[in-house]
Amino acid sequence: MSAPELNEALILQTLRQVVDPEIGCNIVDLGLVYGTCIEGARVTVQMTLTTRGCPMHESIAWGVKNALRNLEAVEEAEVEIVWDPPWHPSMMSDYARECVGMNG
Amino acid sequence: MSDAVKTMIPRAVSSPGTTSVSSLNAPSIALPLRFLAAGLLALFTGVVLLVLRPEMLATYHYNQYVIAVTHLFVLGWICTVVMGAMYQLVPVALETRLHSERLAAWQFALHLVGFAGMVWMFWAWNMKQVGHFGCVLTVGVGLFVYNIARTLLRVPRWNVVAAAIASALGWLSLAVCAGLTIAVGKCSYDSAAALAPGNPFGTLLVGLKAVAALVARFDQISAMHAHAHLGALGVFVMLIVGISYKLVPMFTLSEIQSPRRAGASVLLLNVGLLGSFVAVLLRHPLKMAFALVVVAGLACFGIELLAILRARKRATLDWGMRYFLTALSLLGPLAILALGLSWPGLPLTALTGQLENVYGFLALMGVVSFAIIGMFYKILPFLVWYGSYSRQIGLCKVPSLADLYSPALQVAGYWLYVASLAGTSIAIVLGNAAAVRGGLLLLGLGLGTLALNVIKILSHLIRPQIQPLTLRRAAAASL
Repeated sequence: MSAPELNEALILQTLRQVVDPEIGCNIVDLGLVYGTCIEGARVTVQMTLTTRGCPMHESIAWGVKNALRNLEAVEEAEVEIVWDPPWHPSMMSDYARECVGMNG
Repeated sequence: MSDAVKTMIPRAVSSPGTTSVSSLNAPSIALPLRFLAAGLLALFTGVVLLVLRPEMLATYHYNQYVIAVTHLFVLGWICTVVMGAMYQLVPVALETRLHSERLAAWQFALHLVGFAGMVWMFWAWNMKQVGHFGCVLTVGVGLFVYNIARTLLRVPRWNVVAAAIASALGWLSLAVCAGLTIAVGKCSYDSAAALAPGNPFGTLLVGLKAVAALVARFDQISAMHAHAHLGALGVFVMLIVGISYKLVPMFTLSEIQSPRRAGASVLLLNVGLLGSFVAVLLRHPLKMAFALVVVAGLACFGIELLAILRARKRATLDWGMRYFLTALSLLGPLAILALGLSWPGLPLTALTGQLENVYGFLALMGVVSFAIIGMFYKILPFLVWYGSYSRQIGLCKVPSLADLYSPALQVAGYWLYVASLAGTSIAIVLGNAAAVRGGLLLLGLGLGTLALNVIKILSHLIRPQIQPLTLRRAAAASL
């Protein structure tokens, strides 16, 4: 069986396996993933965190790399943490809002 | 690059120094874990001692046993846990690296020897040895202050959190110096005369004798109260205020609503503390005015905290946060009690003495300890999770932080602790030793639930609970 074609949908679906252990929701629905860049077998994910100085910084970045490397078509995975634009709760999906019992 | 598929948003840019995944800001988890373990041991020992001798709280507090147990709680429990947590959290929260992990390991050894020896010698009321062990502790505190100060110097963005931490470091240095000075004042230096002229120890003893003569000019109880205020308010309350401005928005998905109000709270606390220290030491009538400045700082903090909580996006507060916020709410009655006890001309009756005991009990076991236990439920699961699961995330299904302990035990512990604070405080006011023992037994039960949860959390270091991901490679292939 050949490896599935790498595309954004597959990457986002894969990144839904990476759950923020404090909030209990995956990073895609939290709105932390800002973008992906696919160059052959190399994938770069541009993402943020809910707050600067988040203690889960390294863990979540490792999780993203681990999850992507688990895909057959990915040989190299990189994570770029960015702070502009800063994350805001309005970036969460309806599912994430349910997870955190969001106010307002 | 022609076949590259990019879906980056255009405005997103990297911040310097924040993009590297391998930039580990936090020290190894073994460092904070040993501080937390030693702190818990001191807490349980202190509660057992109080249960065995409830009269320590049911009678006036100026005696060797109360001073020994107070230092066991303050240095052994609170300081140890706070120092361990700061080594872990300050670099992470302020986006920098700890200056030296090796210095922190040395400080741990000096701190253990220093505080254990001090408590033992306070109990035996051997002030000379208290001074010696106090010097060991002071060297450790010096290493801690230096290490954190050097870490703060690397902070890329100075803010209210960094300002509060820097203030607390200053107050910690002063509190330790004040404590050592009081110990020097309680020793005799007759042996100086027996030493040969020119002996360096003789010169040192003569210097200490001069310090003792200076200390003797102050009222000893006032000096002790001034020293206690530097430690309790300057170090612990200042740290709680500063850390709250980082952790409460982070855990509730909110943000600081008024940086000016937050800054004003730290400034007012610093001004009020400085004035209070001098006024308490000299028994000056301005004590009340400076107490009001401290209360104004706490009021600013309370208003800002409420605004942060009102703006939060996370509707339900977890129980760790409830412990923490309940502890902070106790600052209200504590401030009222402080104002009452600062009233000019307040007679020192038996009731006044018991109210002072309640003040100390509520400050240390209510505000500071309860807040620390709340944060303990955040920090310990994180450290253990980090050690057991951080490399597995994305590869396996790993538990969340809340899965590491029993929420039922946590809730039971909360109510037992609250009931104990209320019951013990009433018993102290009444001066009833049996009732104090009853209240403290409730406290012991509440802490027992914490102990069980600590064991449950630590068990994940030995037996991690990892499950396969629900979405496997094969499933992904079908997309």
